[in-house]
Amino acid sequence: MNLPYFLRLVCLCLASFFLLHTALGLATWQVAPAAIRLAEKMRARAAARFVFFLRLLPVMLATILVLGLGVPSYVWLEPPGMHERMGFACGAAALLGAALWSISIGRVMHAALRSGRYARECKRIGREISTESSLVPANLLDVETPLIALAGIFRARVLISRKVMDELTRGELEAALRHENAHRVARDNLKRFVFLLAPGIFPVMRGFGGLERAWARFSEWAADDQATGGDSRLSLLLAAALVRVARMGAAPQPSMAVTPLIAGDLGLPARVDRLLRGETAPPAPLWSRTALVGTLAVLASALIVGAMHWATVLRAAHEALERLLS
Amino acid sequence: MIHFLKQSMAKFREPQRQSFLGPLETSVMEILWERGESNVREVVERFDRRLAYTTVMTTLDRLFKKGLLDRTKVDRSFIYSPKLSRKQWEQKRAGELVAGFLRGPEPFRELLLSCFLDVVGGHDPMLLDELERKIRARRRDLLRRRES
Repeated sequence: MNLPYFLRLVCLCLASFFLLHTALGLATWQVAPAAIRLAEKMRARAAARFVFFLRLLPVMLATILVLGLGVPSYVWLEPPGMHERMGFACGAAALLGAALWSISIGRVMHAALRSGRYARECKRIGREISTESSLVPANLLDVETPLIALAGIFRARVLISRKVMDELTRGELEAALRHENAHRVARDNLKRFVFLLAPGIFPVMRGFGGLERAWARFSEWAADDQATGGDSRLSLLLAAALVRVARMGAAPQPSMAVTPLIAGDLGLPARVDRLLRGETAPPAPLWSRTALVGTLAVLASALIVGAMHWATVLRAAHEALERLLS
Repeated sequence: MIHFLKQSMAKFREPQRQSFLGPLETSVMEILWERGESNVREVVERFDRRLAYTTVMTTLDRLFKKGLLDRTKVDRSFIYSPKLSRKQWEQKRAGELVAGFLRGPEPFRELLLSCFLDVVGGHDPMLLDELERKIRARRRDLLRRRES
């Protein structure tokens, strides 16, 4: 198939993105269990950040390589205005790359629209309330469903159902709201949005479920840590609130489906035990600062080396693209 | 196969369809909440705009089939009355809305919600008892420490 200059560039970008992303995704998938074990030794917020970074690494690296090397090498070294033949393999990879992005964009648009509608409806049927600490904007929903959640990506607000409001004690409610506020401050809903946008390994297989579940667990722990700040009284109140909310949902409710991934009691006992053992006191953030400085140093070195050999790197990238095209 | 799919979709949408009212249905419900028991003619007369008798009759019949109205036959016409008060209806609708959104294989991912507790159902009561015992023990321990 003969393609003009610009269309060839688009196909090459998609094909090279697919190949790079798949290779990096499979590598990440392989190291994920070990990485999660390593993260379990860190404090919760650092672990959540680490797992978040690892989940996004394939898509970030593939995008940087395609946009930072592939496109400049093509623009610089490919003679414009001529048609060139594209091979079947390249076409198939480009199609798969397009499918990856289409599915991700479709998924994220569906989630954003659904969430937007949900938040609007909840705001309409709910009543704005001022909470004891006024930490976070909250809406009270006059429903029997045991719900307490943070909704919204940028202007997040807490949704509390009447049932939760009535049954939690003042202290427990305060602790629960501090927990939701910690999610708001950490922008966890935005991170969920980014997860949905980041493509899976293949169009029909996401392959990063383990990392995403680990991130969800660590982000809950981190929010618990942030909410209690090492205070044993607050930890106790938060643990009591968790069990009480779980108890509300324990009655059979045919209209409420249980999410298979998290069904059972895997998350709750661990969270309660952490809170009761007082493991939530935040240690000095020395490790994460060292890790950040180390990562920045590695990136800066890579950039300097790349800049010194820029022409050679671009020629090599162009050669790889030519091979991919044929 | 198509019949099976249609039935499955209908089952899935049933509660949402029940709680969703169109503008005319809402107006009819408002009249009945305000007036109480009414026949078709009385509802037609309460409307600000002119509506055909058959339109209102069909709407009332639809609301009856949705389970929102009761009806009794007096002479040759039906007398309709609301099954739920406006407040009860709003509560029911809100509950269905919240539950409806949370239904599905991965509701929290689809909804971009950070839930206080991921699972809102299905916790083992024995495990919850055990956790509560631990909390009580810890509370006693803290109290003892504070006193000493």
